[in-house]
Amino acid sequence: MRGSLFSLIFLVLILLGGVNGHARIFIDINSPSAKKFAVAIPDFRNESPQSGSPEFAAGLAQIISNDLDLSGYFSPMDKGAFLEGGNTGEDSVNFKNWSVIGTELLVKASYACVGQSLELDLKLYDVYWGRQILGKRVLGETRNHRELMHRLSNDIIRLLTGSDGIAMTRLAFVGDATKNKEIYISDYDGQKAKQLTSDKSIVLSPRWSPDGKRIIYNSYKDNKGPRLYMRDLRAGAVKTISGRPGLNIGATWSPEGNRVALTLTEKGNSDIFLIDLNGNIVKQLTDHWAIDVSPSFSPDGSKMAFVSNRAGGTPQIYVMTISDGSVERITFESKYCTSPSWSSRNRIAFASQSNGALDIYTIAPDGSQMRRVTSGTRDNEDPCWSPDGRYIVFSSNRTGRYRLFLTNETGDNQRMITNLPGNQTAPSWTR
Amino acid sequence: MSRRFSNVCMTLAFMGLFLFLGSSCAKKQVQVSEPPKAAPVQEVKKEAPAPVEDAAAKEAKLRAEKEKQLEKMRKAFEDESIYFDFDKYEIKADAKTTLQKKADFLAANTRYSLRIEGHCDERGTNEYNLALGERRANSAKEFLVALGIAPARITTISYGEERPAVEGSNEDAWSKNRRDEFKLIY
Repeated sequence: MRGSLFSLIFLVLILLGGVNGHARIFIDINSPSAKKFAVAIPDFRNESPQSGSPEFAAGLAQIISNDLDLSGYFSPMDKGAFLEGGNTGEDSVNFKNWSVIGTELLVKASYACVGQSLELDLKLYDVYWGRQILGKRVLGETRNHRELMHRLSNDIIRLLTGSDGIAMTRLAFVGDATKNKEIYISDYDGQKAKQLTSDKSIVLSPRWSPDGKRIIYNSYKDNKGPRLYMRDLRAGAVKTISGRPGLNIGATWSPEGNRVALTLTEKGNSDIFLIDLNGNIVKQLTDHWAIDVSPSFSPDGSKMAFVSNRAGGTPQIYVMTISDGSVERITFESKYCTSPSWSSRNRIAFASQSNGALDIYTIAPDGSQMRRVTSGTRDNEDPCWSPDGRYIVFSSNRTGRYRLFLTNETGDNQRMITNLPGNQTAPSWTR
Repeated sequence: MSRRFSNVCMTLAFMGLFLFLGSSCAKKQVQVSEPPKAAPVQEVKKEAPAPVEDAAAKEAKLRAEKEKQLEKMRKAFEDESIYFDFDKYEIKADAKTTLQKKADFLAANTRYSLRIEGHCDERGTNEYNLALGERRANSAKEFLVALGIAPARITTISYGEERPAVEGSNEDAWSKNRRDEFKLIY
């Protein structure tokens, strides 16, 4: 861990001239077993007049620490190991104090709260080279401090990986804290959770539109079965999209966001249909006596993964080519495979039952390269990819009640992100 | 179908509105001569129950008893669910006996219609379980229809795994949750 030579094997160091923002550690995020960087984030220095908002010293640092941890590329170090705190002199970093405890990256920041505004000055250091590699000054409203910190986390991740982070993304999910199932929305880290619907009924399967402006979901609010509704998040208006007799369930957006595929049973059989946002049927996609549910489109919209029990009566994942309607089964390993979610990087996550418990797997659309993401004695279900296709959010009852967990696609950075009253399930992820 | 129904509703509503407006207009026109009309109507109402009090009381008592009996049967009907195997929607042998009883009741009590609710155990995925729950409800409906109950009297709804009858994560609880429930509507 301490040997920086070791880490050199896994990273490319690009040194450019200049002191600020040019020296680069580069994290190869496509490497399946990238080593995590030890990052130290001492409490931020409070420079507020009359020492206002002292709780931010640890609080703001914690938000960035958690973001870096959730990214899977860093392991935030225990503050107890630090030889110095965050309050030592401004630009004089004693790199030896950090390198000796194994620190590879150091985040130092100072902040000042004045009235409603928060000003923050953050510096990121490469401890091995003893250089500042990022300097950011941000100004915003105190009440938006989480967003400000997420933005800085993304800046750090972008600098070190060349890819945008996920710290500014958001989730929708189902919660039953009120004893009814309702939709909640939150930041990607499960924080700032807010109840969105108040149907006082059963609300299921929230799905963000590709542009993140609308959510479709099922509700039993009129007591006639699960109907499909669409909520415009800005206007708050709710529209019935499909209220046909029987089921109108498991809806998913087309990549362009102008169509929705869902399971309808009006004609007595559960088949998948493509409808427009006024609920008119555009095309019947499946036509089989078996149960067909849970469609999920490929990023280019040319294919669709779905669940069917057409072979032997057990649910399996199938992939349909929309243009010719041809269907191929891609799962064979278990008697119960459901909930396909097709990523922007062309992998399909799904839940599969073995030994009585559900676990998350991923598979290539042609059925090859199946990989296990979770393994446990309790259930892990409802996988949903991050917009960048590198992370999976899912629900698990491994700690008792259902909570949302976030993991990278290999499954070796699983973190619980919600801990609200009741259960949290059925996550959907948006930019 | 539903559009036609709502059209009929609209027409009826308009007719009602028209009649109401018409009558209130009429009332205004003959305002002075109206009051005496109202009085005899009230008198007629008062007269009717008085002479047949004994017979009526007897009849009411009998009816109450019958109603009580029916209420008991109704409760028994609604309390008896049928159960399914995991990931299955075929009607089992013992459930056939239960459904035969339900068909007999429905045949004898034609004022009721029926709502069948299909349910699943907590295992598996909500969406698949919603489809499975609907198949379970439809299986029972088809069975009752085959026994002569008019399909128009039966509606179905699936709750998937959302409304367990019994809490718990063991086979005992699961087996009680994989069920159809039967609700009478009148």
